[in-house]
Amino acid sequence: MSKIEKNWLEWSVFVISLALVVSVLSYLSYQALFAKSTPPVLVVELGSAQRQNGYYELPVTVHNRGSQTAEAVQIEVRLTKPDDTHEQAGFEIQFMPPRSSRRGVVTFEADPRTAERLSGRALGYQAP
Amino acid sequence: MTDRNADPSAAPVGDRRTVRQSLEEYGRGVAGGLLFSLPFLYTMEIWWSGFQTQPAHLLAYMAVTFLLLLGYNRFAGMRRDANLLEVCIDSVEEMGIGLLLAALVLFLIDQITTEMTAIEIMGKIVVESMTIAVGVSVGTAQLGASGADAKTGLEADEARSADSAANDASGAAQPPPSTIGQLVLAFCGAILFASNVAPTDEIFEIGMAASALKLLGLSALSLLVGAIALFFSDFRGAEAHVRRGGLFAVLFALITSYCAALLAAGLMLWFFQRFEDMPLMIAVAQVIVLAFPAMLGASAGRLLIQ
Repeated sequence: MSKIEKNWLEWSVFVISLALVVSVLSYLSYQALFAKSTPPVLVVELGSAQRQNGYYELPVTVHNRGSQTAEAVQIEVRLTKPDDTHEQAGFEIQFMPPRSSRRGVVTFEADPRTAERLSGRALGYQAP
Repeated sequence: MTDRNADPSAAPVGDRRTVRQSLEEYGRGVAGGLLFSLPFLYTMEIWWSGFQTQPAHLLAYMAVTFLLLLGYNRFAGMRRDANLLEVCIDSVEEMGIGLLLAALVLFLIDQITTEMTAIEIMGKIVVESMTIAVGVSVGTAQLGASGADAKTGLEADEARSADSAANDASGAAQPPPSTIGQLVLAFCGAILFASNVAPTDEIFEIGMAASALKLLGLSALSLLVGAIALFFSDFRGAEAHVRRGGLFAVLFALITSYCAALLAAGLMLWFFQRFEDMPLMIAVAQVIVLAFPAMLGASAGRLLIQ
């Protein structure tokens, strides 16, 4: 077996590469062994409404607290007016990776700040 | 081109290279890595598969890539006296460069942001970096300089087997030399070409729509193109590597190339989870659709990549 001849540049590239590869491998192994695989858990968080061009914009933040990806997530926000009529608005999120957050906006004609009730939820998603 | 050829005091074969020479080599590797995998970096399905894939799957992907790199570096790499340790070192370097390049490009095209979680970022980088690593390996060995000292592992093998063939009277009846080396290169080429299209939805679309007869046609076209590339064109190396040994060797090379292509296609599709909940017919159809680019890669791998 011949002796390995390398200059300082090659040694440093090798050492950095080895460190990178080993850390990626250990991170993935840790995740594979110890991270529990839980289905997507979608939490919808509503922000505060703003008047915008004649209607009201309401920012929405969606969190996936599970450890699997949810696909084609449909978000719906339902506003109940004081006279007991409803207004609905929503949007779709293509992908929600594990433990990620995505932001969106829904719009209403009625003012969400004076609404009787305001609730948001994920209607459904495609399983990973 | 390189001053290695111009400068008589340059390091001789097997000795320590100068920093400048190593820089050139890494430069070729980086260029090759990006050249072969840029379509991969710019494809949405691959970003998605980064976070859809389970960590255990990613580990398997890294392991397979490492084996590929070992095989490629052993049979076609730049190193003359490649012993196992050196081949391992090269493969680790290529993976490291792949990881760094993937992280850099993904960051610049806004696919890695501070809002993402670690596992999402890591998944994307790992999926992208493995193709880049193979590209780096091919680029280092193929692009630019091939001076007298750039004797590849395969050529060294042939030199060795040529010696033994002189003592062997029944040489013509045997398969061509370094069959395993040829197969490894065919497989590497197949993976490199197929990986750029494997995760796209188009493979599934075609597989779903194509009739059995058309798939048979596609399969025949794959074999035909493979045959043209291997035997009838003027590709570098065709004469030396394939033609000797008569009809049997010709058929043997063609069939093994297609096997490598089918295997590579199946492996890639399995990794990108294209077989889950899929009827057998569509699974097979997808393999055949993907085996076409893989066969191009396999034929090129045998001939061009060396």
